[in-house]
Amino acid sequence: MTMLQPDEAETETEAPTAELKMTARDVDVFYGTNHAIKSISVDIPDKTVTAFIGPSGCGKTTFLRCLNRMNDTIRNCRVTGEIRLDGEDIYGRDIDPVQLRARVGMVFQKPNPFPKSIYDNVAYGPRIHGLAGTRAELDEIVERALTRAALWQEVRDRLDAPGTGLSGGQQQRLCIARAIATAPEVLLMDEPCSALDLIATAQIEELIDELRESYSVVIVTHSMQQAARVSQKTAFFHLGVLVEYGETSRMFTNPSDQRTQDYITGRFG
Amino acid sequence: MGPHIVSAFDKELMAIHAKIAEMGGLAEELLSQALEAVEKRDPGLAEQVIQRDKRLDRLEMEVDELTVKVMALRQPMAQDLRFLVAALKISSTLERIGDLAKNIARRGIYLSQARRVNLSASIVRMGQRTLEQLTEVLDAYSSRDTALAVAVWRRDVEIDELYNSLFREVLTYMMEDPRMIGLGSQLLFIAKNLERIGDHTTHIAELVYYVVEGEPLGDDRPKGEPLALDGLTD
Ligand SMILES: Nc1ncnc2c1ncn2[C@@H]1O[C@H](COP(=O)(O)OP(=O)(O)O)[C@@H](O)[C@H]1O
Ligand SMILES: [Mg+2]
Repeated sequence: MTMLQPDEAETETEAPTAELKMTARDVDVFYGTNHAIKSISVDIPDKTVTAFIGPSGCGKTTFLRCLNRMNDTIRNCRVTGEIRLDGEDIYGRDIDPVQLRARVGMVFQKPNPFPKSIYDNVAYGPRIHGLAGTRAELDEIVERALTRAALWQEVRDRLDAPGTGLSGGQQQRLCIARAIATAPEVLLMDEPCSALDLIATAQIEELIDELRESYSVVIVTHSMQQAARVSQKTAFFHLGVLVEYGETSRMFTNPSDQRTQDYITGRFG
Repeated sequence: MGPHIVSAFDKELMAIHAKIAEMGGLAEELLSQALEAVEKRDPGLAEQVIQRDKRLDRLEMEVDELTVKVMALRQPMAQDLRFLVAALKISSTLERIGDLAKNIARRGIYLSQARRVNLSASIVRMGQRTLEQLTEVLDAYSSRDTALAVAVWRRDVEIDELYNSLFREVLTYMMEDPRMIGLGSQLLFIAKNLERIGDHTTHIAELVYYVVEGEPLGDDRPKGEPLALDGLTD
């Protein structure tokens, strides 16, 4: 980390403004009477990793789940406002949430492979979405997804073994393979490394960096260092409000809001 | 700004701050003593400066060790990160200022054995300006006063100008009387050392600004005219 010299600062090009993949405008979320998300507007650029950070309970997971309508499955949850994917309202009448989740995939905090073989875990999505005509095509999709998830070398000889028999880090990479097997455009990850050790975490972070070439990635993380390492944009949430959003590099060296400052430097707010 | 949730982190930052404050105080004293040694032609005082500079070297190493440890343990962010990065740079800058003061003291020993020249007064005047600049930048650091830091930064041009005029003056003397060359070059070395201390001082001013504001200070610092040697020779 060095201080920018003035002349470098002038010529330093901000990461080119990637195309916006998703946009959220004035989103509110209520669990019954609990107002969990308060009028949040944020842009999710394409081919970029966007990190959501903030203290526990500030609404990161809730907001992330709005982006692929996972909150639809929670009975007392009400979402208002507007969220668009490539300009299209994802809460629109003609949107099928199942199709939407193939385009906006999700990886959860705890690795949650299905109690099936490694192969079937990855083939699950492509099968229900009818992405493969033949077994050979399906094999190819499975291999490609496992390769992209940096797991192929480790499991190619035991595709019939149960996914639940893998190590924690391997299980999480299997879940990533499962999520990308349906060729999504956006990948949502909710604290994907919180159950993993250092090495497995480093492997996932490496993978996230590679995934950025093809997808728009949104990651919720409680590790500030992880957000600083993997993301280009960072959004700081506090008590259901989006306090600050910007270039990750600036956010971690010179945040503008006092609340962000206190949180990322570990001070009492 | 509130305290850290991990209170040991605050203690570590305070320890680093205290060491830098000690380094600053010592660098000021070394420069002031070196100038006094030149002015009073006092080789004993000059010798003291040379000895005391070792303490500054040791403190720099301590700041390095502590800072690296804190970075590894706490993974600092935002203003804490800026403070620590600046701590490393400021301590190494102060260490270099100490070296330059030591160098001035060494030249002072030589001058105390040479014949008295009234040029020493100009050197001492330039030295006083440099010392004032150093004192003020250290004040700016401890009080996080960016206005003061910027003022110091802008004023360095005066030291550059003093250096340039002294350079011309000494050169003229040397041309008039070749027996002055040995002594004159010692004076020029001292002036050059002071000019370098001035530059280091502006570097500290930039770091103070960076710590507080989170962005680098601009690039429009007034600089002295470059020395034009032609014109001196006819
Ligand atoms: N399924 C749920 N039912 C009711 N309240 C919920 C539910 N999930 C989250 N909440 C509430 O919404 C708020 C935000 O929670 P969450 O989105 O999980 O925060 P984070 O992911 O930042 O820790 C909290 O007050 C939490 O108690
Ligand atoms: Mg959560």
